[in-house]
Amino acid sequence: MTRPLVEFDGVDKSFGDTQVLYDVDLSVDEGEVVVVIGPSGSGKSTLLRCTNRLEEIQAGDIRLDGRSVIETDVNEIRQQIGMVFQSFNLFPHKTALENVALAPEKVKGRPEAEAREAAAELLDRVGLADQAESYPNALSGGQQQRVAIARALAMEPKVMLFDEVTSALDPELVGEVLDVIEGLAADGMTMVLVTHEMGFAREVGDRIVLMADGRVVERTETASFFEEPGTERGRQFLSRLL
Amino acid sequence: MATQTESESSGGVLMRDRLVKRVGEAAAGGFVLAIGGLLAWILSTQVDYELLSSPLIARRFAEAFFLVVQIVVISSLLSVTLGVFVGLGRISTSRITGRIAKGYVEFFRGTPLLFQLFVIYFGVPRLWATGEFPFPDWALPAAIIGLTLNHGAYVGEAIRGGIDAVPDGQMEAARSLGMSRVMALREVVLPQAWRNALAAIGNDQIILVKDTSLLTVIAVPEIMSVFRNINSNQLDPWTPLVWVCVLYLVITMSMSQLVNGLERRSDWGSDSRMFGRLSGLGSGGDADGGEEA
Ligand SMILES: Nc1ncnc2c1ncn2[C@@H]1O[C@H](COP(=O)(O)OP(=O)(O)OP(=O)(O)O)[C@@H](O)[C@H]1O
Ligand SMILES: [Mg+2]
Repeated sequence: MTRPLVEFDGVDKSFGDTQVLYDVDLSVDEGEVVVVIGPSGSGKSTLLRCTNRLEEIQAGDIRLDGRSVIETDVNEIRQQIGMVFQSFNLFPHKTALENVALAPEKVKGRPEAEAREAAAELLDRVGLADQAESYPNALSGGQQQRVAIARALAMEPKVMLFDEVTSALDPELVGEVLDVIEGLAADGMTMVLVTHEMGFAREVGDRIVLMADGRVVERTETASFFEEPGTERGRQFLSRLL
Repeated sequence: MATQTESESSGGVLMRDRLVKRVGEAAAGGFVLAIGGLLAWILSTQVDYELLSSPLIARRFAEAFFLVVQIVVISSLLSVTLGVFVGLGRISTSRITGRIAKGYVEFFRGTPLLFQLFVIYFGVPRLWATGEFPFPDWALPAAIIGLTLNHGAYVGEAIRGGIDAVPDGQMEAARSLGMSRVMALREVVLPQAWRNALAAIGNDQIILVKDTSLLTVIAVPEIMSVFRNINSNQLDPWTPLVWVCVLYLVITMSMSQLVNGLERRSDWGSDSRMFGRLSGLGSGGDADGGEEA
């Protein structure tokens, strides 16, 4: 019934002489929400960035829907993977609507009117229908991040990657972004989330993946991870948070 | 106690600030008075107003003015276009292209414009056998080529600086949506780089306007040539100098207006705010992490 959508198979990643991912195996099923946690520098961002080939891997393979990411055209594979960054990275010279419509229009060749209409619907979905014509600089951090999510969704990706998307936000703005992500989870979107928000991880995650020093040290159903981590590393990580 | 010392010292600072301001105002005022006086004296004793408004002079300056405007418009458009390609060459992933662009910039910024004009105007035609060079009126093409190549280098550096100032996250976000590098440059990076570079490009283009005065030495009948002509015929420098001054100011000030207009047109919120927020992010995130730990 469930099938693996994203598969990491013995992935090694180095920056020059420093290896930062060691033999990573990981599989994310269709419709599953996997939350990646771990201390700073453990390789969480790198793991996500390897998935859409913002970083090159040195060994192993990553597959999306059965196809090797490495062997597929890079621009084609990226269209199927939505990525949301900690620092939003909205295009400041485009309105919210244009930010969302740009890639469908230029990359997928959608007619402008159609792309804009779809973009307006997506902005509505993230609760920003009234900000379509605003430039990013006129939006709050939380609003910018919701536009960024809509922008990624506009390419109709098979999987969404979120890298600490609330870490740059004022605390009172975190909730509105998390609500959007929860909505996506409810709609069955396959997602890999890196986050430090443990309450949110617990709520939205199907599975927790714990990373440490470039390795996956634990992968457990969310509920059981928070009740009783399967590894000493997991116990240490949780106790440090509490 | 502490607050009192603070207010005392800030009172002191305020006093000093005010003193500096007064001294500055006095210096500026004195300067204006001195220059204004000199100018008034020159304008009342040295300038021949009959000659100044004579149709003969007016016509010759008008011709030179329109020629300079044409040279400026063409060289401006060409040098900015060339500059965009030079800037792109500088950031090319191809090492060869990058080196060529760098070499180009080094050469044209590193040698005087006058030398470059001499190479093109005197040197190039000699590469043909005598009488074979296909451009009989070489002065104007040589002038436009020289100004374009020279200012293309400066604009190129301005564009490169503008590209460097675009946060890496912009390229990453664009590429993550499946855009090719070229598309991401065109749609996302260059419009921002252009905005970042606009002030520097504007400065350079104003220098280009003034650089047309050098064309007098390669026999282009521009504004300075008219001055030299009238001065040597009439032995009266001040009268034609008034014309020269006004005409250059008209062109340079129009250029400033144009650049201001372009800057206003690409005002989608200030970069400083944007950068402020972005650079605030990293440290903010770190600080949060520190508190949690
Ligand atoms: N471009 C790079 N060049 C060199 N080293 C890098 C680069 N990017 C990341 N690293 C290193 O790789 C390791 C893993 O980094 P990564 O950003 O993936 O960690 P992380 O788990 O996301 O940490 P954080 O929680 O702080 O975001 C770190 O030691 C980091 O210094
Ligand atoms: Mg990270």
